[in-house]
Amino acid sequence: MVKAVGIALVCLLAVAAFSNTAGYQGATTGLQGGPSREDPIKSVDVIGLVGVKDKTAGMLTVRAAKLHFASPKGTADIDATSIEDVLTGNDSQRAIHGTAGTISMFGPYGSGRFLSLFRSKVDILTIQYRDADGGLHGAIFTMPPGESEPLKKKLLAAGARTSIPSQPSAEASSTEASGHTEAKP
Amino acid sequence: MRHFSRTLTVVCYMILIVLAAVALHADDRSPSKVKASAIKVEMVQSEGIKLPAEFQVALYENMIQQLKKKSGFAQVFRDGDRNTRDIPHLVVMRSTVTSFKEGSERKRQVTTVAGATSITVHCQFRDSSGNVVLERDINGKVRFFGANLKATYDFAKRAACVAHDNFSSM
Repeated sequence: MVKAVGIALVCLLAVAAFSNTAGYQGATTGLQGGPSREDPIKSVDVIGLVGVKDKTAGMLTVRAAKLHFASPKGTADIDATSIEDVLTGNDSQRAIHGTAGTISMFGPYGSGRFLSLFRSKVDILTIQYRDADGGLHGAIFTMPPGESEPLKKKLLAAGARTSIPSQPSAEASSTEASGHTEAKP
Repeated sequence: MRHFSRTLTVVCYMILIVLAAVALHADDRSPSKVKASAIKVEMVQSEGIKLPAEFQVALYENMIQQLKKKSGFAQVFRDGDRNTRDIPHLVVMRSTVTSFKEGSERKRQVTTVAGATSITVHCQFRDSSGNVVLERDINGKVRFFGANLKATYDFAKRAACVAHDNFSSM
């Protein structure tokens, strides 16, 4: 009985992992097929936004020379001209993350470990900006793959600065495939 | 009866020795704290080490959050804040990453023993005249659960504890 429940749980988690990954890939291919770059980008504020709790999911847009983050728990606006550095990178995260991900770690027969093998790629956007008093802030956002570089270009066009200029798209795609991350020297 | 009194004496001596050791240890653990009214945290630097930008920012932001929570400083200022000009007894915290090993979350979760992320930061606390009042190497690690960036949170908690143990607010 316990074995049957265990196997059923493993199957359910595996199906959830596959569906999550498939949905994500579908969304990515949809974006690559000619997205409207004015649309808000679904992102997660990992850390650093004033007035928004860490690890809050929301929508990120660049409009009126401001980086605007909106979520049900709070909003934040950063003047593009106050941004001193914009950097992009990429990473991966568990396909099943959050509370469900933590619970799945304790699945029977090593299923938690097995599910850890299913991962989805994310882009990372890191910015450094100054507040009205001159204090330096940093903020990190994660977003679907392929979204960080266009956002960086929009920020640069709006007046933000960067220590590493944007790469050409072909070069960017090749570096994305190799898991490159912009690093401070 | 004689045997009992001997045993009792030995036990009493042992209790006295333990109490003396505890008292001495307590004396060692309470060094004189440096008085400071506020702290300014400078952006983390990484000389000669390729540190991803998100780690640099996460180290800085986590440090500020943890210092506000735990260190006991009345005010925590950011790098470049103009309000620090008139603050007496200001301590400036300068951090340089000396070693960084980016592990793998996948390896950690699959194998449990491999893929740890570790980061070592050399922290200098200077007074307003520029003299170093405290210098420490502080580590941050993530061994089992969590993303690689969690190592920066671990470091920040330890740095805040060091600040709490060595500085007292005025």
